[in-house]
Amino acid sequence: MTELLVTLLLLTLVKSAPIIYAALGGVISERSGVINIGLEGMMAAGAFAAVVASYFANDGIVGLVAGVAAGAFVGLVLAIAAPKFKVDQIVAGTGINLICAGGAAYGLVLIFNQPGASRTVPPLGGINIPHLNMNLGEAILIALAFALAIALHWVLYRTPWGLRVRATGENPLAVKSAGLDPLRFRLLAVTASGALAGLGGAFLSIGELSIYSDGMTAGRGFIALAAVIFGRWTPLGAMGAAIVFGLFEALQDVLQGRFAWLPADALSALPYIAALVALAGITGRVRAPASDGVPY
Amino acid sequence: MKRAGAFLSGPLGAVVLVVVLMSIAMMIAGTSPADGFRALILGSLGGRSQLGETLVATTALLFPSLGVAFAFRAGLFNIGAEGQLLVGGMLAGAAGAAFVMPPFAAIVMMLALGAVGGGLWGAIAGWMKAKLHASEIISTLMLNFVALYVTLYLVSGPLKGPAATGAETAWLPTSYWLPTLISHTRLSIALLLAVAIAVALQFLFARTVFGYDLRAAGEAPEAARRNGVNLPRLTWLALAISGAIAGIGGATIVTGELHRFNTQLSPGYGFIAIAVALVGDLDPIKVCFASFLFGILEAGGLAMQASAQVPKDAIHVIEGLIILVLAARRYVAQRSERVAEAAASV
Repeated sequence: MTELLVTLLLLTLVKSAPIIYAALGGVISERSGVINIGLEGMMAAGAFAAVVASYFANDGIVGLVAGVAAGAFVGLVLAIAAPKFKVDQIVAGTGINLICAGGAAYGLVLIFNQPGASRTVPPLGGINIPHLNMNLGEAILIALAFALAIALHWVLYRTPWGLRVRATGENPLAVKSAGLDPLRFRLLAVTASGALAGLGGAFLSIGELSIYSDGMTAGRGFIALAAVIFGRWTPLGAMGAAIVFGLFEALQDVLQGRFAWLPADALSALPYIAALVALAGITGRVRAPASDGVPY
Repeated sequence: MKRAGAFLSGPLGAVVLVVVLMSIAMMIAGTSPADGFRALILGSLGGRSQLGETLVATTALLFPSLGVAFAFRAGLFNIGAEGQLLVGGMLAGAAGAAFVMPPFAAIVMMLALGAVGGGLWGAIAGWMKAKLHASEIISTLMLNFVALYVTLYLVSGPLKGPAATGAETAWLPTSYWLPTLISHTRLSIALLLAVAIAVALQFLFARTVFGYDLRAAGEAPEAARRNGVNLPRLTWLALAISGAIAGIGGATIVTGELHRFNTQLSPGYGFIAIAVALVGDLDPIKVCFASFLFGILEAGGLAMQASAQVPKDAIHVIEGLIILVLAARRYVAQRSERVAEAAASV
């Protein structure tokens, strides 16, 4: 029993980390007033770029950097497309998801000459940590996810920059009248959002595994959006929600083998139902930033 | 510059954009655009069966695209067409496999259940928007995944066909299949149904009070409200109808194409539908032509991959880029913004 609980706990950490990264990306983006539907695509871009870079450089660290950079780049595309030219954020985000998933599938064939999945590439790796059943790189990235959640919470609520980002999401005109450029904050926030999602993607492909396969993000970008809402648009709240959703995923993995009667697929719907419930205000008042999704 | 933007966002501009982007994708893959386009065109229009496949894809895209365009016209985002297709298709497939009745009645029942399933899925988002002011963007998006996992659960267990090896319902009896439109192809009369719905929508928008109210709610919600339009009611009705149209599409894929239900029913038609609706200017008739254009891409992409070695996934990159460029048309955003304001002030 203890063994099962430990397995479950560790697996929850592994499954939570990528959702935390993407959810933090969602929080920072929405706090600046941009709904980032493209998180899923940015994760895929990060996961794919990490594998490609790691393959050519033969080094997982290079892969990690490339994954973050690719996510940030896609974030920048959304940032330029959505807040600056007032292109509709939702439509643009949907387009980004199609582009990234399709682009990775296209790239797999061109680079690895095989559809579906890449070759095995050097993972982040490092020494294997006994008892934890994970390597050092993976463990550091998991710890970093929690650290970043705390850091982002502090930045958003305790620094002038955070105040300005939040003000941009609530009332961009007020930011403008304070002599600051709201678009600059949205640009930075959405690019950072992409970088975080890219990091989450890289964790999936070269942290947890050492391969990219089509559809490996499996809706985690959307689960992250759900975590943002369930976590009431705060970094720590989103982290908490991401842990709960990670636990759902871990539960399915651990229990499915033991209890065949468990409706695993129905369990997969729970994060999304939780988000709907939160959205409906049944769990109390939740409120999106006032100018969330409104072009400035 | 302004004119270039207007051109690029029009249907003709979309074709030019597709040709340029496709050429780039082909050259990256080491194929000359001439060879690539020959493969694409021959593979989509080059013969009876190729044209048939193109029209099958056109039909599958047309239902959700009309649904998405319908909601857009009322100032609402429906990015949940994917889930509405699934729920509609599942109800149709499950009922078709369960009940024995005259074939014609069975087909009508399956299409009606498709509308009910998709409509219900849309209505949930509409109700949440109208009563709870919950953004339909997020709710329709989340409902996609609820639909996917719930239907997957149902067809893996309770609704799984007795003889089925995978997660799918039992096969429909052949008499329940939608009649073929062009012999020796997989094209069913669903295409005619979709076009009929497009014509009906065109009439609805142009000639009926309800259609006028919908457009008013989309374009000037505050004025509409002051004119006595019941905006909350219109909101949930619009999303329910939008979902119902997509749901009928799911049912036609089941009775016309797969002849059973499984969750591979749609390879993202509900999302591509957003691109189709925008290329078609949210106009039901133009959406038909836009669906045909995308149908060529979908069907031709496979041929292009087989005979010109250009990965078919390039098609999705191009569809996504079209969405990104066309999203520049701000009025959709502005409409939704105004609807949000009006809904908040009700």
